[in-house]
Amino acid sequence: MKKIQVSLLLLLIACMELHASGFAQAKINLQLKETTLKQVLNEVEKQTDYRFVYHTGTLPEDRKVSIHVTDATLDEVLSKAFSGLPITYTVKDDNLVIIIPKAPKPPVDRIIRGQVKGGPDKNPLAGVSVKVTGSAAGVTTDADGGYSLSVPDGATTLEFSMTGYTSQTIYIGQRSIVDVSLELSVKNLNEVIVTGYTGYSRNRSASAVTTVAADKINEVPVASFEQALQGYVPGLSISSVSGQPGTSASVILRGVGTITGSNNVLYVMDGIPIESNEFQAINPADIESVTVLKDASAKALYGSRGSNGVIVITSKKGKRGRVVVNYSSQYGLSALTSTKFRMMNTAERKQFEEGIGLETGAEAGPFWIYSKLNPDYALKTPAEQALADHIVDSLSHVNTNWRDLFLHDGKFMEQQISASGGNENIRFYSSLNYFDQQGIARTTGLKRYTLKNNVDFTAGRLTAGVNLSLGYSASDLLQQENTSSGVRNPLAAVYYAEPYEYPYWPDGKLVTTGDGSDYPYLDQREGSDSYERMLNSTNKEGQFKTILGTNLSYKITNHLTAKTRLGIDYSHREDEAWINPDSYAGSRVTPGRLGSLSEGYVQHYSLITTSGLTYSNAFNNVHDLEVTGLFEFLRNTYKSFGYTGYGLDARLPQTPAGIGDPGTYTPILAGAKTQNATASYIALARYTYNNKYTLNGSFRYDGSSTVPVKSRWHGFYSAGFSWEVKKEDFMNDIDVISNLRLRASYGTTASPFANDFAYVTTYSRISYGGNPGIIPYTPGNPDYDWEYAKELNIGFDLGLLKSNRIRLTAEFYNRQTYNLFFPRMVSATAGIISTDAGDANTIPLSSGKMQNRGVELDLQGDVIKNKDLTWTLGANMAYNKNKVLDLGGYDEFQYGYTGIIRVGLPFGAQYAPKWAGVDPANGDPLYYDRHGKITTDYNEDTMSVAGFGTYVPEITGGITSNLFYKGFTLSALFSFNAKVTRYNNEEYYNENPSFITSNQSTRMLYDRWKKPGDHTFLPRISAKRNFSSRDFEDASYLRLRNVKLGYDLAGLLGSRKYIQGAQIYVQAQNLLTFTSWRGFDPENGNEYAKFAYPSPRTYTLGLNVNF
Amino acid sequence: MSINIYRKPSIALLAVALCLGACNKQIDLTPTDSIDPSKAFRTVDDLNQGLIGAYANLSYYSSIYYTSIVTDECMLPSENSSGSGFATHRWQYDGSFEHPAWPDNYVAIDRANRVLAAMDNVQAKPGEEGLKDQYKGELLALRAYCHFELLRNFAEKYESGAMGVPYMEVSDVNGSPARLSFGETMAKIDADLAAAKALIPADFDDNTRITRIAVSAMQARASLYEKNWDNAITYATEAIDALPLASRANFPKIWKDATEDEVFWRLKRVTGDEAIGDLYTQAGYLDDPGGSKINYAASFKLTNLFDQTNDIRFSAYINIDAVRQAAGKVPNVVVKYMSDDPSDRNLVDIKLYRTGEMYLIRSEAYAQKDNLTSAAADLNALRAQRISGYADESFADKQTLLDALVTERFKELAFEGHRHFDLRRYNLPIQRNPEDAVNALGAVLLEPTDAQYVFPIPNTELRANKNMKQNPGY
Repeated sequence: MKKIQVSLLLLLIACMELHASGFAQAKINLQLKETTLKQVLNEVEKQTDYRFVYHTGTLPEDRKVSIHVTDATLDEVLSKAFSGLPITYTVKDDNLVIIIPKAPKPPVDRIIRGQVKGGPDKNPLAGVSVKVTGSAAGVTTDADGGYSLSVPDGATTLEFSMTGYTSQTIYIGQRSIVDVSLELSVKNLNEVIVTGYTGYSRNRSASAVTTVAADKINEVPVASFEQALQGYVPGLSISSVSGQPGTSASVILRGVGTITGSNNVLYVMDGIPIESNEFQAINPADIESVTVLKDASAKALYGSRGSNGVIVITSKKGKRGRVVVNYSSQYGLSALTSTKFRMMNTAERKQFEEGIGLETGAEAGPFWIYSKLNPDYALKTPAEQALADHIVDSLSHVNTNWRDLFLHDGKFMEQQISASGGNENIRFYSSLNYFDQQGIARTTGLKRYTLKNNVDFTAGRLTAGVNLSLGYSASDLLQQENTSSGVRNPLAAVYYAEPYEYPYWPDGKLVTTGDGSDYPYLDQREGSDSYERMLNSTNKEGQFKTILGTNLSYKITNHLTAKTRLGIDYSHREDEAWINPDSYAGSRVTPGRLGSLSEGYVQHYSLITTSGLTYSNAFNNVHDLEVTGLFEFLRNTYKSFGYTGYGLDARLPQTPAGIGDPGTYTPILAGAKTQNATASYIALARYTYNNKYTLNGSFRYDGSSTVPVKSRWHGFYSAGFSWEVKKEDFMNDIDVISNLRLRASYGTTASPFANDFAYVTTYSRISYGGNPGIIPYTPGNPDYDWEYAKELNIGFDLGLLKSNRIRLTAEFYNRQTYNLFFPRMVSATAGIISTDAGDANTIPLSSGKMQNRGVELDLQGDVIKNKDLTWTLGANMAYNKNKVLDLGGYDEFQYGYTGIIRVGLPFGAQYAPKWAGVDPANGDPLYYDRHGKITTDYNEDTMSVAGFGTYVPEITGGITSNLFYKGFTLSALFSFNAKVTRYNNEEYYNENPSFITSNQSTRMLYDRWKKPGDHTFLPRISAKRNFSSRDFEDASYLRLRNVKLGYDLAGLLGSRKYIQGAQIYVQAQNLLTFTSWRGFDPENGNEYAKFAYPSPRTYTLGLNVNF
Repeated sequence: MSINIYRKPSIALLAVALCLGACNKQIDLTPTDSIDPSKAFRTVDDLNQGLIGAYANLSYYSSIYYTSIVTDECMLPSENSSGSGFATHRWQYDGSFEHPAWPDNYVAIDRANRVLAAMDNVQAKPGEEGLKDQYKGELLALRAYCHFELLRNFAEKYESGAMGVPYMEVSDVNGSPARLSFGETMAKIDADLAAAKALIPADFDDNTRITRIAVSAMQARASLYEKNWDNAITYATEAIDALPLASRANFPKIWKDATEDEVFWRLKRVTGDEAIGDLYTQAGYLDDPGGSKINYAASFKLTNLFDQTNDIRFSAYINIDAVRQAAGKVPNVVVKYMSDDPSDRNLVDIKLYRTGEMYLIRSEAYAQKDNLTSAAADLNALRAQRISGYADESFADKQTLLDALVTERFKELAFEGHRHFDLRRYNLPIQRNPEDAVNALGAVLLEPTDAQYVFPIPNTELRANKNMKQNPGY
């Protein structure tokens, strides 16, 4: 090239020389406006002897210049004309001016400084990432928001970003000081999406993800962080299974994609996968952000484990700058929410027992047994009659409030201190937290202690980090909660206990059934027995959890980085359940009748290593490529052991030393061990062209021990495309749209096997009369294969009006699961017993197909935005439609408590004979048969129909409002569920002739058929209580999940010598619930409601101080 | 140091290749807590372990329970607020009722069949041949017993042409077996019992397992249901001759596991097994009568049949509690399954075959063959052994004697899971006295023509097995 250019040039020079003559140093006068360079040169040629020589293309044709000079030299004119252009010239002796492109000179870096402020108060922001657009170079701001960045010569813009704030791209021009103010973002459209393997900014990612920032999570008074996500992430359905402190919620992303496989979302903390449903030892205040990966292009990175969605947790990291110390503290109270049903009081109970007695003769309680209305009364002696009258009279005066006995307002307290800071080479974040929440049931509560230490090092080309979380939680639980509708469950006893029963005798003794000989009682003692049991039993759970992650990366060249990561998730849970041998509850224990003590532990150890190379390069200003290759190995080991000992010595409570002689009181031992391992080869690639078009691709090849050898290895891939429409020229003039991005992705993922060895046929040990034997245990299935899903996602991000004042993100998806794991029912003659690998009379299959299709919308808008007042409103909603497409040749099978799995119906479809009301003539319960005919002949098998909805909500969402006014913040979060039906098992017990001796709902008194002509909801008392569609209730709800009022004390603090900032706030959880559901809590995530601990209403007062 | 590896692609490739091999091994895991089927049955002792596995699933619990609560044996006292079994007691069950006898017996049968199938591949060491035969005999007898229990509970009627149950002779995970007729099922039971009897040595006398004489008792009972009176007499005689009735002094000890008198076969129960006494009374009644609740009480109908003073069976089975009576509570406490062990009051062995039943079988067979003398002799012999000061009774005709036998079986075998089936054998209705039906919400008379008279085949079975047929009325 060079040679040709030179020869061409020489040839030109030779030609031009012929015309060269005089006029050197001539003065030039020009008055040119918006003229092309060619015209400028022509004008100079007219006025002087200079002749210009240049190669076509050297002068940019679109460059227009205005030159106004008088008596100027050639130098002056040309430097003006060529200003900023890569052009230079030389003047030959003969006035020949040769114009040539400037040799590209090495770029000269310059230093840009500035300060970043943010939020409504414009406080200095530490830890903001400042980056030169299109380059990897960047720094973070120090404690005072300051930064200093070396910027390459050609750079035009800087990017400022921080989680929780709207990123900004600033044109730097010639400035050397660039100060920026960032807005708090409710919904950030351009943040970095952390997937655990990659960190792409949102405009370079095709993925459907939602990020929830620290401010939504940190101060919510829940012990299990995932509960704080409710209502923020469209498509993520979160239901608290139990209000017992520390209980993990049921989390489902984009519908249920399996039948008996795992439905667990994969949780990844700082790159380390952690156990799901074991979060009580993780401190929500240490979380910087939570990113929910929803579509295949993001989830496929996790291949065999990503199908149910991935929740990536990023913990807080240290930032360069002054050490910042933060102290925060919260105090509060939890109270029981009220229910829609009401149980009978004593007067109603009297009326009820008398009514039942007159109708059927059945003895529902003492109000009938001793009643004047009872035919037996006439047979009594006058003395007996007087006694009976006295009994009825005295019982009528008792009206026990069982709630006050079993429940109370639980206290809440949390204290946290954290420090963070660092320099160029080392940055740290450390925190200590103490959390103490009493439950609403008197003996329950959770105490948690956590420690978090994150340290990051940078040394030249090497960066490394160590993240350590240590947590210990100690819970006091109820022994029978959520597993029993029986009276042993205190939360059921609150309702079942008779109002005319009072646990304490006048002498102060708590009288139970066991005292019947000495303290004659006339009620069932159900409440008292349960109350005594609650007071004399403990159920403690201690959980110790360590999550340790180390990562190391080394920049081999500017574009090639080697990285390796090692993670350990270790948890050790200890359970201890004790029943006092000196109590009535203890005397009910067999063997021994002297209480029991069980202790056990479950240990989980998970090790993951990930290593590989990343190549990233941006070239020619338009191509941006990143390719990563990784190898990963994951191993999970579980171990458990436990015993139950009997015949306790009351003088040695809650210790194995108190256990009776094993020869007399045979203890029970139990324990198990299992493990699984997965190996993966991972390839990831991203290519962005001109900041507009991005392609994401991934391939992962996984092998798992949970799959039979012949299908052990499986490949997963994904491809995604993203288009920054707003960056196209044709969008320049459309001011109303400030941001538009289209995304599409497709890929495959799988969900892990719920059981480590479901495919293996096994024998297990058993004993008969003390002699050892063996039995066939799991039937196995050698054809077991991966349960995998294919998912298509199309979405867009739209920003409207100036600076994205209205923001809309929409996603449409279609996920199909193949090789569905489900149990095939076999005849009882096959002899299969129920095991932890499956139900009785079923064989595990992997066959069949299920579909989840849905839409997710997230709309956020700044309703008011001025200096003093900002009001942001947001609403998100997800609609998911599930459908079973194929069951491997089978049409349907009944599943779970009340459901049917049938081709064409959604998973979780409720299935029962349809209730047709009560026959007014005789009080018979009526049902529809499958032909729509009303009948009294109940047959669950031949009459059950679907069509009562599903227990997995089809619609979920949340509404948020954030108001900032001067120093005040008022935020509210509503969450809602719609199109969901649950089985109200509480009502099945509260309105059931089998339980008339226990207290029942007032509907049993007022709305029960008693005589011909009665139009009632409930049938006659002597009719069988059959399970039918009347037990299904709409469990839709709208709940004011959180409301918080905060005030920033910055203005009141004055000099701020020691205190940098302080906030106080009050907040309430579950303040209001709108629902037609009659059970305890519409939210409890199961298909049925079974006297689970309801979510309490919690009020807290909090303080944050920064030093 | 390790970073340098990546600088040389060949080394990196090698590392990956090594990893690939190593990782395949790393993910090649096997279960640690269960036994590989290839190792399940290798020795004769393994066969014994498989047989014990089959014994381990035998549970007569549900038969005793449901017989008690669906018949006139028990009444539901007001103090039972558990709700447990109420709907069944009120005869309000339909096809969704899953009687545990259905899966439990088939699971035991399947276990037996798997061991029988493995038998031929196990080489007996010298001296073990006899043991192998014994185990085979036990397995066959156990299989027959389980099918017989299924038949008693689920057969449409105890008549040759009526629907019986599927007879499983090989383990079949994917099978959809159809119901045999009652007669066909009985024939297979008889064949298995006969084969078993030839294999089990006479000197094997562990009555927690099936001995040769237990097989005789099983054959006697089977013959009774088949109405094969000659066989019933033969086998009952074999049994009676081998094991006499317990003395009156020893009779109560049978129920406390204090003697093995009169028991051909019992299911051994140890801590952790279901406590049969829980069906009737809260554990600990004997220690604290006033502070224990009664779940199901003995019916007044049954209580009143006994000579409460002289009949040893009465005090062994039922206690009329004066304290409870004074407090106006139902006094008839079932104490038949209360042990002397204060730590596990309701846990006792379950007696499956006793000599008393053999006398009743033989008496009934003689009566049916119109040999009233022998029939009356057996009945009187039994009563004389149970009732102090008993004077022999003579019976006017066959029907009077048969009626007396039904009543005697009611008393002798109370709470042993027979009443329901005895009524069914004679097509007699289940009838409760009014005082026993206070909380039965009107469930007083159940006719043989009512569907609930016979238990339904569970709906789950009908769904899984296309060849299964339901009992009439459901």
